[in-house]
Amino acid sequence: MEHGFSLLEWLFPSVINSKSGHVFSALIVAILLILASFLYRKSLKKSADEVIPEGRVSLKNIFQVVVEGVFNFMESVIGHNAHKYVPLIGTVFIYVLVNSLLGAIPGFSPATANVSTNLAVSLTVFVYYNYLGIKEQGFKNYLHHFMGPIIYIAPLMMLIELISHFVRPLTLAVRLFGNLTGDHIVLGIFSDLVPLVVPVIFMAFGIFVSLVQAFVFSLLSTVYIGLAVAHEEH
Amino acid sequence: MKNKQVIETGLRLRKRMKKLSAFLVAFFGQFLFVAYAMAEEASGAGSSGGSLVAIGAGICMGMAALGGTLGQGRAVASALEGVARNPGAASKVQTPMILGLALIESLVLFSFVIAIMLVGKV
Repeated sequence: MEHGFSLLEWLFPSVINSKSGHVFSALIVAILLILASFLYRKSLKKSADEVIPEGRVSLKNIFQVVVEGVFNFMESVIGHNAHKYVPLIGTVFIYVLVNSLLGAIPGFSPATANVSTNLAVSLTVFVYYNYLGIKEQGFKNYLHHFMGPIIYIAPLMMLIELISHFVRPLTLAVRLFGNLTGDHIVLGIFSDLVPLVVPVIFMAFGIFVSLVQAFVFSLLSTVYIGLAVAHEEH
Repeated sequence: MKNKQVIETGLRLRKRMKKLSAFLVAFFGQFLFVAYAMAEEASGAGSSGGSLVAIGAGICMGMAALGGTLGQGRAVASALEGVARNPGAASKVQTPMILGLALIESLVLFSFVIAIMLVGKV
Protein backbone atom coordinates (compact mmCIF):
# COMPACT_ATOMS: atom_id res chain seq x y z
CA MET A 1 0.00 0.00 0.00
CA GLU A 2 1.34 3.39 -0.96
CA HIS A 3 1.57 5.82 1.89
CA GLY A 4 3.12 8.79 0.22
CA PHE A 5 5.88 10.57 2.03
CA SER A 6 7.44 8.84 5.01
CA LEU A 7 9.82 10.72 7.26
CA LEU A 8 11.61 7.64 8.52
CA GLU A 9 12.21 6.34 5.01
CA TRP A 10 13.54 9.72 4.01
CA LEU A 11 15.91 9.91 6.99
CA PHE A 12 17.22 6.35 6.86
CA PRO A 13 16.67 5.11 3.32
CA SER A 14 19.03 2.15 3.67
CA VAL A 15 17.36 0.58 6.73
CA ILE A 16 13.73 1.54 6.52
CA ASN A 17 11.36 0.79 3.69
CA SER A 18 7.60 0.51 3.50
CA LYS A 19 7.77 -2.92 5.13
CA SER A 20 10.01 -2.19 8.11
CA GLY A 21 8.68 1.33 8.69
CA HIS A 22 5.94 0.14 11.01
CA VAL A 23 8.40 -1.77 13.15
CA PHE A 24 10.49 1.33 13.59
CA SER A 25 7.57 3.55 14.47
CA ALA A 26 6.48 0.97 17.05
CA LEU A 27 10.04 1.01 18.38
CA ILE A 28 10.03 4.80 18.62
CA VAL A 29 6.74 4.71 20.54
CA ALA A 30 8.05 2.02 22.89
CA ILE A 31 11.21 4.00 23.64
CA LEU A 32 9.20 7.19 24.16
CA LEU A 33 6.81 5.48 26.55
CA ILE A 34 9.61 3.84 28.54
CA LEU A 35 11.40 7.18 28.87
CA ALA A 36 8.17 8.91 29.90
CA SER A 37 7.42 6.30 32.54
CA PHE A 38 10.94 6.61 33.97
CA LEU A 39 10.48 10.38 34.18
CA TYR A 40 7.11 9.87 35.85
CA ARG A 41 8.62 7.52 38.39
CA LYS A 42 11.32 10.05 39.16
CA SER A 43 8.74 12.80 39.65
CA LEU A 44 6.85 10.55 42.06
CA LYS A 45 9.93 10.04 44.21
CA LYS A 46 10.58 13.76 44.31
CA SER A 47 7.13 14.63 45.60
CA ALA A 48 6.09 11.67 47.67
CA ASP A 49 4.30 13.73 50.30
CA GLU A 50 2.56 16.15 48.00
CA VAL A 51 -1.16 16.65 48.66
CA ILE A 52 -2.14 19.33 46.20
CA PRO A 53 -1.52 18.38 42.55
CA GLU A 54 0.59 20.59 40.37
CA GLY A 55 -1.24 23.50 38.84
CA ARG A 56 0.02 23.08 35.30
CA VAL A 57 -0.10 20.41 32.64
CA SER A 58 2.89 18.27 33.47
CA LEU A 59 3.89 14.73 32.59
CA LYS A 60 2.76 13.62 36.01
CA ASN A 61 -0.72 15.09 35.61
CA ILE A 62 -1.15 13.57 32.15
CA PHE A 63 -0.16 10.14 33.43
CA GLN A 64 -2.49 10.39 36.37
CA VAL A 65 -5.44 11.46 34.23
CA VAL A 66 -4.91 8.57 31.81
CA VAL A 67 -4.37 5.92 34.46
CA GLU A 68 -7.31 7.15 36.50
CA GLY A 69 -9.52 7.14 33.41
CA VAL A 70 -8.52 3.57 32.56
CA PHE A 71 -9.08 2.49 36.15
CA ASN A 72 -12.51 4.12 36.30
CA PHE A 73 -13.88 2.53 33.16
CA MET A 74 -12.43 -0.85 34.13
CA GLU A 75 -14.11 -0.59 37.49
CA SER A 76 -17.41 0.21 35.81
CA VAL A 77 -17.10 -2.97 33.71
CA ILE A 78 -15.52 -5.55 36.02
CA GLY A 79 -16.34 -4.21 39.47
CA HIS A 80 -14.26 -4.00 42.61
CA ASN A 81 -11.58 -6.44 41.39
CA ALA A 82 -10.57 -4.17 38.54
CA HIS A 83 -7.33 -2.91 40.07
CA LYS A 84 -5.74 -6.34 39.54
CA TYR A 85 -6.03 -6.06 35.77
CA VAL A 86 -5.17 -2.38 35.33
CA PRO A 87 -1.45 -2.93 34.58
CA LEU A 88 -1.91 -4.91 31.35
CA ILE A 89 -5.01 -3.14 30.06
CA GLY A 90 -3.56 0.27 30.90
CA THR A 91 -0.38 -0.62 29.05
CA VAL A 92 -2.35 -1.85 26.06
CA PHE A 93 -4.48 1.30 26.06
CA ILE A 94 -1.52 3.69 26.23
CA TYR A 95 0.52 1.73 23.70
CA VAL A 96 -2.30 1.50 21.16
CA LEU A 97 -3.32 5.12 21.70
CA VAL A 98 0.17 6.57 21.26
CA ASN A 99 0.86 4.32 18.29
CA SER A 100 -2.34 5.43 16.59
CA LEU A 101 -1.76 9.09 17.41
CA LEU A 102 1.62 8.84 15.71
CA GLY A 103 -0.32 8.59 12.47
CA ALA A 104 -1.63 12.11 13.00
CA ILE A 105 1.88 13.50 12.57
CA PRO A 106 2.58 13.98 8.86
CA GLY A 107 5.41 11.77 7.67
CA PHE A 108 4.81 8.97 10.15
CA SER A 109 2.88 5.81 9.51
CA PRO A 110 1.23 4.40 12.64
CA ALA A 111 2.28 0.89 13.64
CA THR A 112 -1.34 0.02 14.38
CA ALA A 113 -2.08 0.34 10.67
CA ASN A 114 -0.21 -2.95 10.35
CA VAL A 115 -2.13 -6.08 11.24
CA SER A 116 0.90 -7.77 12.84
CA THR A 117 1.25 -5.16 15.59
CA ASN A 118 -2.42 -5.45 16.47
CA LEU A 119 -2.34 -9.22 16.37
CA ALA A 120 0.62 -9.23 18.77
CA VAL A 121 -1.28 -7.05 21.25
CA SER A 122 -4.57 -8.90 20.90
CA LEU A 123 -2.94 -12.32 21.24
CA THR A 124 -1.32 -11.11 24.46
CA VAL A 125 -4.77 -10.17 25.72
CA PHE A 126 -6.14 -13.54 24.58
CA VAL A 127 -3.49 -15.53 26.46
CA TYR A 128 -3.86 -13.27 29.48
CA TYR A 129 -7.62 -13.62 29.89
CA ASN A 130 -7.52 -17.36 29.42
CA TYR A 131 -4.75 -17.59 32.02
CA LEU A 132 -6.81 -15.43 34.38
CA GLY A 133 -9.91 -17.53 33.84
CA ILE A 134 -8.04 -20.74 34.66
CA LYS A 135 -6.32 -19.13 37.64
CA GLU A 136 -9.45 -17.62 39.15
CA GLN A 137 -11.85 -20.51 38.59
CA GLY A 138 -9.66 -23.54 38.24
CA PHE A 139 -9.18 -25.51 35.04
CA LYS A 140 -12.28 -27.66 35.46
CA ASN A 141 -14.66 -24.82 36.19
CA TYR A 142 -13.26 -22.72 33.39
CA LEU A 143 -13.73 -25.59 30.97
CA HIS A 144 -17.24 -25.99 32.25
CA HIS A 145 -17.97 -22.52 30.89
CA PHE A 146 -17.49 -23.89 27.40
CA MET A 147 -19.97 -26.73 27.85
CA GLY A 148 -23.16 -24.73 28.06
CA PRO A 149 -25.98 -25.25 30.54
CA ILE A 150 -27.05 -28.78 29.52
CA ILE A 151 -24.68 -31.69 29.09
CA TYR A 152 -26.50 -33.12 26.02
CA ILE A 153 -25.62 -30.16 23.83
CA ALA A 154 -22.07 -29.90 25.18
CA PRO A 155 -20.32 -30.99 21.93
CA LEU A 156 -22.17 -28.35 19.93
CA MET A 157 -21.66 -25.64 22.55
CA MET A 158 -17.99 -26.55 22.81
CA LEU A 159 -17.54 -25.98 19.09
CA ILE A 160 -19.41 -22.69 19.10
CA GLU A 161 -17.64 -21.40 22.19
CA LEU A 162 -14.21 -22.38 20.87
CA ILE A 163 -14.85 -20.56 17.61
CA SER A 164 -16.18 -17.49 19.37
CA HIS A 165 -13.13 -17.44 21.62
CA PHE A 166 -10.58 -17.87 18.84
CA VAL A 167 -12.29 -15.20 16.76
CA ARG A 168 -11.85 -12.63 19.52
CA PRO A 169 -8.16 -11.75 19.04
CA LEU A 170 -8.71 -11.77 15.29
CA THR A 171 -11.59 -9.32 15.44
CA LEU A 172 -9.73 -7.08 17.88
CA ALA A 173 -6.75 -6.92 15.56
CA VAL A 174 -8.68 -6.51 12.33
CA ARG A 175 -10.95 -3.81 13.79
CA LEU A 176 -8.01 -1.67 14.82
CA PHE A 177 -6.18 -2.36 11.56
CA GLY A 178 -9.19 -1.52 9.41
CA ASN A 179 -9.95 1.70 11.24
CA LEU A 180 -6.43 3.02 11.19
CA THR A 181 -5.71 1.95 7.62
CA GLY A 182 -8.99 3.35 6.36
CA ASP A 183 -8.37 6.59 8.18
CA HIS A 184 -4.89 6.84 6.74
CA ILE A 185 -6.09 6.13 3.20
CA VAL A 186 -8.85 8.74 3.46
CA LEU A 187 -6.35 11.29 4.74
CA GLY A 188 -3.95 10.43 1.91
CA ILE A 189 -6.64 10.75 -0.77
CA PHE A 190 -7.91 14.08 0.50
CA SER A 191 -4.37 15.43 0.82
CA ASP A 192 -3.91 14.54 -2.84
CA LEU A 193 -7.18 16.18 -3.87
CA VAL A 194 -6.92 19.37 -1.82
CA PRO A 195 -3.45 19.88 -0.33
CA LEU A 196 -4.46 22.82 1.88
CA VAL A 197 -6.84 23.22 4.85
CA VAL A 198 -9.21 20.32 4.05
CA PRO A 199 -6.87 17.53 5.29
CA VAL A 200 -6.89 19.20 8.73
CA ILE A 201 -10.49 18.03 9.19
CA PHE A 202 -9.43 14.46 8.48
CA MET A 203 -6.44 14.77 10.80
CA ALA A 204 -8.79 15.84 13.59
CA PHE A 205 -11.04 12.94 12.65
CA GLY A 206 -7.98 10.67 12.77
CA ILE A 207 -7.23 11.78 16.33
CA PHE A 208 -10.84 11.08 17.28
CA VAL A 209 -10.69 7.64 15.64
CA SER A 210 -7.44 6.84 17.45
CA LEU A 211 -8.96 7.74 20.81
CA VAL A 212 -12.16 5.79 20.20
CA GLN A 213 -10.37 2.74 18.85
CA ALA A 214 -7.86 2.62 21.70
CA PHE A 215 -10.82 2.90 24.07
CA VAL A 216 -12.75 0.18 22.26
CA PHE A 217 -9.73 -2.13 22.18
CA SER A 218 -9.15 -1.86 25.92
CA LEU A 219 -12.88 -1.92 26.68
CA LEU A 220 -13.35 -5.19 24.79
CA SER A 221 -10.25 -6.66 26.44
CA THR A 222 -11.72 -5.68 29.80
CA VAL A 223 -15.04 -7.27 28.91
CA TYR A 224 -13.27 -10.50 27.93
CA ILE A 225 -11.35 -10.53 31.19
CA GLY A 226 -14.55 -9.78 33.08
CA LEU A 227 -16.32 -12.70 31.39
CA ALA A 228 -13.40 -15.03 32.07
CA VAL A 229 -13.04 -14.25 35.77
CA ALA A 230 -16.74 -13.86 36.59
CA HIS A 231 -17.91 -16.44 39.08
CA GLU A 232 -21.23 -17.93 38.21
CA GLU A 233 -23.73 -17.10 40.87
CA HIS A 234 -26.85 -19.20 40.75
CA MET B 1 -69.07 -22.64 -10.25
CA LYS B 2 -66.74 -25.40 -11.27
CA ASN B 3 -65.38 -23.24 -14.05
CA LYS B 4 -64.41 -20.53 -11.57
CA GLN B 5 -62.61 -23.04 -9.44
CA VAL B 6 -60.64 -24.28 -12.39
CA ILE B 7 -59.65 -20.76 -13.32
CA GLU B 8 -58.57 -20.07 -9.76
CA THR B 9 -56.41 -23.15 -9.57
CA GLY B 10 -54.95 -22.23 -12.91
CA LEU B 11 -54.07 -18.75 -11.68
CA ARG B 12 -52.50 -20.15 -8.56
CA LEU B 13 -50.52 -22.60 -10.59
CA ARG B 14 -49.34 -19.86 -12.87
CA LYS B 15 -48.23 -17.77 -9.89
CA ARG B 16 -46.34 -20.69 -8.52
CA MET B 17 -44.76 -21.35 -11.88
CA LYS B 18 -43.69 -17.73 -12.05
CA LYS B 19 -42.04 -18.00 -8.66
CA LEU B 20 -40.43 -21.27 -9.62
CA SER B 21 -39.14 -19.92 -12.90
CA ALA B 22 -37.70 -16.83 -11.19
CA PHE B 23 -35.99 -19.10 -8.74
CA LEU B 24 -34.67 -21.31 -11.53
CA VAL B 25 -33.37 -18.33 -13.47
CA ALA B 26 -31.57 -17.04 -10.39
CA PHE B 27 -30.26 -20.50 -9.61
CA PHE B 28 -28.86 -21.20 -13.06
CA GLY B 29 -27.79 -17.60 -13.56
CA GLN B 30 -25.55 -18.00 -10.59
CA PHE B 31 -23.86 -20.99 -12.22
CA LEU B 32 -23.48 -19.00 -15.38
CA PHE B 33 -21.75 -16.28 -13.42
CA VAL B 34 -19.45 -18.76 -11.76
CA ALA B 35 -18.59 -20.29 -15.11
CA TYR B 36 -17.95 -16.85 -16.52
CA ALA B 37 -15.72 -15.85 -13.59
CA MET B 38 -13.84 -19.13 -13.84
CA ALA B 39 -13.32 -18.68 -17.55
CA GLU B 40 -12.06 -15.18 -16.87
CA GLU B 41 -9.65 -16.47 -14.29
CA ALA B 42 -8.40 -19.20 -16.58
CA SER B 43 -7.86 -16.84 -19.48
CA GLY B 44 -6.40 -14.12 -17.22
CA ALA B 45 -3.42 -16.29 -16.34
CA GLY B 46 -1.90 -14.82 -13.20
CA SER B 47 -2.79 -11.89 -11.02
CA SER B 48 -5.04 -9.92 -13.36
CA GLY B 49 -8.58 -10.45 -12.08
CA GLY B 50 -10.17 -8.06 -14.52
CA SER B 51 -13.03 -5.67 -14.10
CA LEU B 52 -15.28 -8.14 -12.27
CA VAL B 53 -13.02 -8.06 -9.24
CA ALA B 54 -13.11 -4.27 -9.17
CA ILE B 55 -16.91 -4.32 -9.35
CA GLY B 56 -16.91 -6.90 -6.58
CA ALA B 57 -14.77 -4.70 -4.36
CA GLY B 58 -17.05 -1.73 -4.97
CA ILE B 59 -20.23 -3.67 -4.27
CA CYS B 60 -18.62 -5.23 -1.20
CA MET B 61 -17.79 -1.86 0.34
CA GLY B 62 -21.10 -0.29 -0.66
CA MET B 63 -23.23 -3.03 0.84
CA ALA B 64 -21.11 -3.12 3.98
CA ALA B 65 -21.52 0.63 4.42
CA LEU B 66 -25.27 0.34 3.82
CA GLY B 67 -25.80 -2.39 6.38
CA GLY B 68 -23.41 -0.92 8.91
CA THR B 69 -24.95 2.52 8.80
CA LEU B 70 -28.46 1.11 9.12
CA GLY B 71 -27.44 -0.81 12.20
CA GLN B 72 -25.46 1.99 13.74
CA GLY B 73 -28.27 4.43 13.03
CA ARG B 74 -30.71 2.27 14.93
CA ALA B 75 -28.30 1.87 17.84
CA VAL B 76 -27.55 5.57 18.13
CA ALA B 77 -31.20 6.53 17.67
CA SER B 78 -32.36 4.41 20.57
CA ALA B 79 -29.42 5.50 22.73
CA LEU B 80 -30.29 9.15 22.08
CA GLU B 81 -33.94 8.47 22.84
CA GLY B 82 -32.92 7.00 26.14
CA VAL B 83 -30.69 9.96 26.94
CA ALA B 84 -33.40 12.44 25.92
CA ARG B 85 -35.86 10.83 28.29
CA ASN B 86 -33.39 10.51 31.11
CA PRO B 87 -30.38 12.83 30.74
CA GLY B 88 -28.91 11.46 33.95
CA ALA B 89 -28.27 8.12 32.23
CA ALA B 90 -26.03 9.66 29.56
CA SER B 91 -22.76 8.44 31.04
CA LYS B 92 -24.16 4.96 31.65
CA VAL B 93 -25.58 4.65 28.14
CA GLN B 94 -22.41 5.84 26.47
CA THR B 95 -20.09 2.90 27.13
CA PRO B 96 -22.45 0.13 25.99
CA MET B 97 -23.38 2.23 22.98
CA ILE B 98 -19.76 2.62 21.92
CA LEU B 99 -19.26 -1.11 22.50
CA GLY B 100 -22.22 -1.92 20.28
CA LEU B 101 -21.12 0.52 17.62
CA ALA B 102 -17.65 -1.01 17.62
CA LEU B 103 -19.05 -4.50 17.24
CA ILE B 104 -21.27 -3.41 14.34
CA GLU B 105 -18.46 -1.51 12.75
CA SER B 106 -16.05 -4.41 12.96
CA LEU B 107 -18.11 -6.34 10.41
CA VAL B 108 -18.04 -3.36 8.06
CA LEU B 109 -14.29 -3.26 8.53
CA PHE B 110 -13.99 -6.94 7.66
CA SER B 111 -15.54 -6.22 4.31
CA PHE B 112 -13.29 -3.18 4.00
CA VAL B 113 -10.26 -5.39 4.49
CA ILE B 114 -11.64 -7.84 1.94
CA ALA B 115 -12.23 -4.96 -0.48
CA ILE B 116 -8.61 -3.89 -0.05
CA MET B 117 -7.50 -7.44 -0.79
CA LEU B 118 -9.72 -7.50 -3.88
CA VAL B 119 -8.39 -4.18 -5.12
CA GLY B 120 -4.90 -5.58 -4.69
CA LYS B 121 -5.89 -8.38 -7.12
CA VAL B 122 -7.12 -6.08 -9.90
